[in-house]
Amino acid sequence: MWLSVLGLLLGISLGLLTDMQIPSEYANYLSIAVLASLDTLFGGIRAHLQHMYDDKVFVSGFFFNIILAAGLAFLGVHLGIDLYLAAIFAFGVRLFQNIAVIRRLLLAKWTNKKETEESLG
Amino acid sequence: MKKLHLNNRAKWSKSIIFSLVFLVLGFMLSYSYSLSKSQEETGDFTGGAFFEQEEQYRKELIEQQERNKALREELGEKQAAVQKFEQSFLEGESHETDFAKEAEALRHALGLLPVQGSGLVVTLQDGAYNPDSVNPNDYIVHESHIFQVINELYISGAEAVSINGQRIHANSHIVCTGPVITVDGVQYPAPFIISAIGKPDVLASSMKLAGGVMDQLVNDNVVVTLDEGQTISMPAFLTES
Repeated sequence: MWLSVLGLLLGISLGLLTDMQIPSEYANYLSIAVLASLDTLFGGIRAHLQHMYDDKVFVSGFFFNIILAAGLAFLGVHLGIDLYLAAIFAFGVRLFQNIAVIRRLLLAKWTNKKETEESLG
Repeated sequence: MKKLHLNNRAKWSKSIIFSLVFLVLGFMLSYSYSLSKSQEETGDFTGGAFFEQEEQYRKELIEQQERNKALREELGEKQAAVQKFEQSFLEGESHETDFAKEAEALRHALGLLPVQGSGLVVTLQDGAYNPDSVNPNDYIVHESHIFQVINELYISGAEAVSINGQRIHANSHIVCTGPVITVDGVQYPAPFIISAIGKPDVLASSMKLAGGVMDQLVNDNVVVTLDEGQTISMPAFLTES
């Protein structure tokens, strides 16, 4: 657990310290990649809460989604279609759904715990 | 926490994978954050800088144009001055020969150059000794006689006059000192040879006018000889003495 926190901190610091400049049109790809990674992260959390979690699925999904989103946006730019909007839409919807599921699960867990405590008590 | 029961190796590999995932996630988040921030800044900055630069260039352009204008005006002035100068030079060129001639004539008049030419030679000699006369002043040549002759010669158009070879000029002084005459500090005894350059016939006829200089001189017992055929050469007046 502490190793992943360390990795996060290291990544944040690396990102903040990186002084590399990329053209503004590639910033879109990065934002989509960020969205994809967040979606995968929350999906992983939901899966964990639903006891469906799989390391391989999570890790491969994480990287694959990032690459897919960026590639889709790239393709869209070159085809003249705003495909990154589709990626944003899909990931955005999934993100909200995942968060909603997580909230409900947590709430259910919390109420269950309370109830059991009350019943026990 | 079932996973704690897994063996150490799996746990380690899992946490390494997680840390890698989180590293990538953190990197991407912070990088996109810093990127958008810097883009905002640079966007603002570049916009401001662009306008600033444009303003600066415009100012520079205006300055340059003003300077060009000033320089053009200066050039015009200079060209006008040059034209004026050239004009005056042209005019001056046409006058130059006249000036040179005038300078030559003036030098001649001042006696600064040796001259040569036809003219008249007037010789004044003391009269022969007269035993009847008590006063020898009655028959010797006086400075007034010489004055008369010189004045007459100048009036008749003599260009240069000399006495016994001594050039006469505007500031010459002729003094009678007893039996001799001092011309500019140099004493000369009689006879006095007064040479004048000019038209010989005019000079001679003016000398010979009835009741003129010649008659007066003869009246004063001065022996006058006129010689009008010679070519006379005179030295330049050099000494101021």
